[in-house]
Amino acid sequence: MSGSSNPLPKQAEPAAEGPDDLDLVARSQAGDTAAFSELVTRYRSRAFSMIYQMTRNEQDAWDLAQDGFVKAWKSIGRFRGQSSFYTWLYRILMNVTIDSLRRKHIANGTEFDDQIGLRQIEPGAVTAPRPEMQPAEKISDKEVRERIDQAIAKLSPEHRAAIVMREIDGLEYSEIAEHMDCSLGTVMSRLFYARKKLQALLKDVYETI
Amino acid sequence: MKPFEERFTAWVDDQLTGPDLAAFEKELASHPEAAAERAEARKLGDLLREPPAPPLANADFFNHQLMQRIAAETPRPAEPAKARGWFWSLPRLALAGAACLLVAGGLFKTLIPSPAQAGEKSKYYAQVVEAWPGDETIWATTVYNPEDNVTVVWLDGLDYIPATYALR
Repeated sequence: MSGSSNPLPKQAEPAAEGPDDLDLVARSQAGDTAAFSELVTRYRSRAFSMIYQMTRNEQDAWDLAQDGFVKAWKSIGRFRGQSSFYTWLYRILMNVTIDSLRRKHIANGTEFDDQIGLRQIEPGAVTAPRPEMQPAEKISDKEVRERIDQAIAKLSPEHRAAIVMREIDGLEYSEIAEHMDCSLGTVMSRLFYARKKLQALLKDVYETI
Repeated sequence: MKPFEERFTAWVDDQLTGPDLAAFEKELASHPEAAAERAEARKLGDLLREPPAPPLANADFFNHQLMQRIAAETPRPAEPAKARGWFWSLPRLALAGAACLLVAGGLFKTLIPSPAQAGEKSKYYAQVVEAWPGDETIWATTVYNPEDNVTVVWLDGLDYIPATYALR
């Protein structure tokens, strides 16, 4: 397998000035909340953005980012520097978000069936556009966002996480597998079915913009 | 051999190389729609990346709220509780009790005379509390001599003591 063609950055950009992440982590491990606040300042926007792509809701993304950083603070003593701080933080944020999505859907009495809508789709089959959408119609940015929100909301937390990590955050399969604690095959399978479902729901959108 | 969907996904993401890629492309000869499917998957990726997430509003308040939560959820150091516990510990109470007893004993010894002290003769002159002759022209003075255990009453201005006059 070759490297990813996805151009998105995967690691935190180094701070332009000030102490590096590991210095701040060491001070945080000694109980220095000011140092941890500096780490939060460096990564809060990225954390919020990543969680927003999963939840498609600003308030939920804010709250879950807060939960994730609190969890990171509580467990920062276990950070050993084997990966970058952001990689370590990313996994915490992703787990917090997936857990929240699971709880929310259990509370709502809904259950994901990733096979719904896919039973008629054979691997390799070409997806069909929604019949009510005319190809010539131009979809507004707002509508595009709403359609994507609705489509992603129909994915299970695991499929959502896989597609966001791959398509938006640009992670390698191995990194996704590590974050989701599953095999490479499971990652590829989740990506396959998540794409199929999103293609079925969004074909008219990406065909018309 | 991996399932078709895994190999298809790897092919879409350009993750197949060498013999794996050649074998899969040979297999795709029976799936003429595969190329279009890959193009659609890539359009989907572009679509998902296109609308960026909204920026984090009130970023400074984000830190403020987070630090408040951390302060509230972080357990306070155990040292003050330990000190408070030591203060009220059994040794400290025993020490305080002993100090109280010492002070009480000192006060008792100072303020309450012992029976032996009560029986001793005073080394001081007796104090005549009232030397009142009953006549303003007579001046009365008293003197006590402890060695002889004698009290002298000096009455100035009195020529003699009448027979009816008595010391009370």
